[in-house]
Formats: sequence, C-alpha cells, structure tokens
Amino acid sequence: MRQFLLSAIIALTAFAAHAQADTDSVPPYRPVAAAYTLGVGSAHVCDTYLTPLHYDGWSAALGYERLQAMRFNPQRWVMQLDGRLTLDRTQNPARNATINGIDLRIAWAMMWRTQLPAYPSLSLYAGGYAEAHAGALMLARNGNNPVQARAAATVGVTAMAVCRARIGRLPVTLRYQAALPLTGAFFSPDYGELYYEIYLGNHSGLVHAAWPGNYFKLDNTLTADLHLGNTALRLGYACGVFSSKTSGIVARDISHRFIIGVTTEFITIGRSRGIDPHARIISAIY
Amino acid sequence: MRHLSETIALAIALAMLAACHKVDSYKGGLYGNFDALWTIVDEHYCFFDEKDVDWQQIREQYRSRIDPEGMETTEYFRLLGQMLDELKDGHVNLTSSFNTSYYRKWWSDYPQNFDLRLVREHYLDFDYSQSGVLSYKVLHDSIGYMLVSSMASGITNGALDMALLEFAKADCPALVIDVRDNGGGMLTTTEQLVTRFISRRTLAGYICHKTGPGHNDFSEPYAFHYDTAEGHVRWLRPVVILTNRSTFSAANNFVSIMRLLPNTRIVGDRTGGGSGMPFSSEIPCGWGVRMSACPIYDAEMQLAEGGVAPSEGCSVDLDPELALQGTDTMLEFALDLASDWRDWYIKQER
Repeated sequence: MRQFLLSAIIALTAFAAHAQADTDSVPPYRPVAAAYTLGVGSAHVCDTYLTPLHYDGWSAALGYERLQAMRFNPQRWVMQLDGRLTLDRTQNPARNATINGIDLRIAWAMMWRTQLPAYPSLSLYAGGYAEAHAGALMLARNGNNPVQARAAATVGVTAMAVCRARIGRLPVTLRYQAALPLTGAFFSPDYGELYYEIYLGNHSGLVHAAWPGNYFKLDNTLTADLHLGNTALRLGYACGVFSSKTSGIVARDISHRFIIGVTTEFITIGRSRGIDPHARIISAIY
Repeated sequence: MRHLSETIALAIALAMLAACHKVDSYKGGLYGNFDALWTIVDEHYCFFDEKDVDWQQIREQYRSRIDPEGMETTEYFRLLGQMLDELKDGHVNLTSSFNTSYYRKWWSDYPQNFDLRLVREHYLDFDYSQSGVLSYKVLHDSIGYMLVSSMASGITNGALDMALLEFAKADCPALVIDVRDNGGGMLTTTEQLVTRFISRRTLAGYICHKTGPGHNDFSEPYAFHYDTAEGHVRWLRPVVILTNRSTFSAANNFVSIMRLLPNTRIVGDRTGGGSGMPFSSEIPCGWGVRMSACPIYDAEMQLAEGGVAPSEGCSVDLDPELALQGTDTMLEFALDLASDWRDWYIKQER
C-alpha cells in the first residue's frame, strides 16, 4: 500500500509545532474536507408530459461532498466534488395518484477564494462547475407515458460564502452556496412523443441546448458545521428550484430539505514524501 | 465584490426569466374540471379530422348541460363520458374510482361472430396446448391453428418456438392465426409475433406524434422496421389471419402489418381499429383521462383507425344456426383457404 491516511487532527498537531518561516518553498498539505449528509423535506413536482397537475410530497437526499484546495494555487483555488442521490414521492391534489422520482447528480466545481481584510473570518468563493444528472419521474397509472426521463449535462457558475465563528466555546463554520447552470444540454421527448417511438428508433430532437431561459436551476445550500473534536456535525437547509420548458413541455420542481450529516477533514500523505514538518496546511473551508 | 454583485444580479434576472415557464393551472369544480378535460383532449387527441368532430362545438354543447346549482358525481361523470364518446374512439376513457367510461359502439354495433367455447369444443376438442394468451394445436388436415386472445401480456419466446415447431413437425402447409375478440394490449407483443413471420428486416409502418397543442401539429411520420426473430423458430409458409370487429388496438396493428406480407390473407370481418397509441393525463378532481395521441400508419401510409378490411373475397361471418350445430363458418372458411394452400404445395412438390 503506497499511501496511508492520517486524520486531520493528528496531522495538525504534529505540524503546527514545527511550522517555519520558509514554508513557501515546501508544497503545502491540502486536507480534504469530506461530508456525508442526509436531507429530508418537501417536494413540489410538475411535469406536463405526465400531468398538468402539481404534485406535493416528501423528498429525501443522500449527499457526499469533497472540498480541497487545488494543487497549483492552493491559497486561491478550491475544488469541490458533490454527489447526490435524491428520491421524491409526491401525490396529486386529489391524493389518488403518485409520482415517484429518482435523480442522481454529480458536480465538480473549481472556485477562486478571497478574504475581506475587514472580515478575516469570512471567505468568499466564486467559480464555475460542471454537472451531470440523470433520473426519472414515474407516474404508474399513465398507460403509455408512465415515465419522464430527466437527464442533463451542464456548466454553470457557483458562489459560496464561508464564515468561521463560535457559539460559546464551540467552533462553527457557517456556509452558504448557490449554483446556477448557464449552458449545456438536456434530454426531453417532444410534446406528445411516446417513449415507444424512441424505442422504435426515432432519436431525433431528444437533446436540447440549455440556457437559463429554457432550463433554469438554482441550488441553494446553507449549512452550519459544528466542530466536535475530529469530526463536525453538519446541520443545514437546502432549497432547489428547477424549471424547464421545451417542446411545449413545462417541468417545475421545488424542494426544501433539512440536512444533517457529518464532516471530517483528512490528509493523504504519500509514503515517499513522509511527514514534512515545514509544510503548511491549507484547508479548503475550515 | 463587484463580480459577486454582478453574479447575484444575473441570478436574480435569470430567476425572473424562469418564472415565465408558466404551467396552466386548472380550477376545480364542475366547470374547472370540465374545462381541464376539454382542453387536455383538445391539445393531445390526434384524430379530430379523421373523426370529423367539431370539438369546439362539442364543448359548447356539453358545457351548457352542467347544472351550476350542482350535480351528482355520477351524473357529472356520465356527462363528461358522453362528451368523450363524441370522439367515437375506443381508446378514449375517463377513469374514476367508481367508473370508467368507454365508447363501445365500435364493436357493439356489429354482430358478435366469435364463440370461444365453439372453437375449444368442436375444433380443439378441449385438448390443446396453452401458454398465457396463446393456445395452439395442429387441426385435422394438418392445418396449424393458433389462437391469440390478447396482446395485453407478452407471449414467451419459448411458447412461440414450441407452437411453430409443432406445426413444422406436423409439416403443416399453412397456419391460421385467430385474433378474433383480441382487444389488443402491448405493441411489443405485436412486434414479437410479426418477427416470427418475416424473413428479413421489414417496414412495419409509420408513427407520428403531436408536436404542439394545435389539432394539426404533427411530427413527420417516422418509419419503423421489425427485424426477423433471429435464433427463434420462424414461420414463412402461408398464414391466414382470422379477424372480427373486436380485433382492436395492438391486435388491429398486428393485422395491418401482416396484411402486407406475402402469402398472408385476412379472413372474417373488418377489424375494430384503434390505431392511435393512447396518451394519459388527468383532471383536477383526480379522474384519469386517456386518448389516442400518436397515429400509427401501415407500410403503405394507410391509417387503420377505421379497421382493416378482410382480403378480397375473404369477408365471412359466423352463421349462428350452424354455430349451434358446432360449425364456426369463419374458421371453416379460413381452414378451407389454408387447405387450398396445402393442395398447392403438394402440387409444387410433385
């Protein structure tokens, strides 16, 4: 095994005592901040391919996030990997039909960060990201159009504000992040096209260029990481707004989820390099 | 900070743009549900021209019959169902927890010319192989007989292989496929059957879909082909398809494809039609609505919504009196036709 893992706290303790003035010549350590979260809340779903009615119900999401300072300019650039599996179950106003939704999303972002001299505890991040997601809405009682597939590959902008504070003696990291896709491509059948026709081989017109006028998506996440020793408890709130219109089909989803999770920060050290007492540690958010 | 402000401003502007994705929201109540139903059909139904229906006039005719003082739910359901019946389409239904509306005249105005008991008793002798919706037997005179009672569930490839193998082993010169009273089901079952009777990739038809809410907003017809069932038993000898008015939807589609294959004859009565694939939706009170939305044409771009006529000289009905004596005149005609092929084959072999 060429690499081994040390926990962030052990590394921090070991290196802090040996920090030297000439650390710039030594490659810094870039700990990974990883978070595993569960979100539960409400979902509002509408997709006119399946039904003209608005469905309401619950939404749950499992998330994994990984933040790390980038190698080429770790002080200024941060990368983020974000994956999420979302499950929705909603019902029509008459409560006699159910839409089950599933969506798998993965996004990679690269953000530039800065600190305001007047507010040293506040860091601001802004950058771009690439996202891919795939999923489906299923309305079983529809005979030939029981499913609407959802898939998209987009690039967009994201911004984040991180504030380090304390509640009493407890260190807390507050964070707000918003992500907005600007362009890309997404899947949609034609107005009245059945998936059977697609099955027969008619694949024309299924992929559409996305721009915020026909494909709008805004993900907002507000979290508070309560640092409890080696790990942190993450509490938060996420709101997702999605609206698309193409081929006469309008889709609109709004979700609100409360988040709970754990985060941890760790450093991966190559065996050949060993532990360098002169290296600085540049965290992505903490 | 300036860049951040611009980004936030852009996000807000785009959020406002997104608000333009308006979803028509239908009101509830007697008029709201009526309007929702009428509009959904207006925007998705595909045979207004073929049925020569003035849908706007239908709206006025039926909307005026709503009693604003209130109506019994069953009475209201009946009214909406009657409005849908004006489309004269067996694929149009309104579904509630207590009732489903059907337009039945596409078959009820025609004679009932299939008696399952008659076939099972006097031709199959209650001794036949059956797998799901497929029943089969080699009849006297070495004619293969295959009854497909529905397309609603798939037929296993194993069952089809066994049936066709049995006919091949008996050296049947021809095969009768009985799809009388087959109300349809899945088009994949149609495909599964047809691929057993073609020797190469075959144009099966064309399909269209609505591209917008206008009555004439249709896509260009898309030609679809079926590939032969490689690796499975196929039947390339003559086939007689036995049909009646209750042969509908996917079964009607099966007949419309088979009609154009060589060595195939359609015998019996005109089929019931149903060549528009249905699309489902719902109205605010939760009642489901289903309607023909995607027309399917045959390989000659003919629409089979009005049914498929028997081959020339092959129109035949069930004689009720002879049926009482154990004779299915439609099946007899089909067997005679198949026997002619047998004689032709024998001559060819000599």
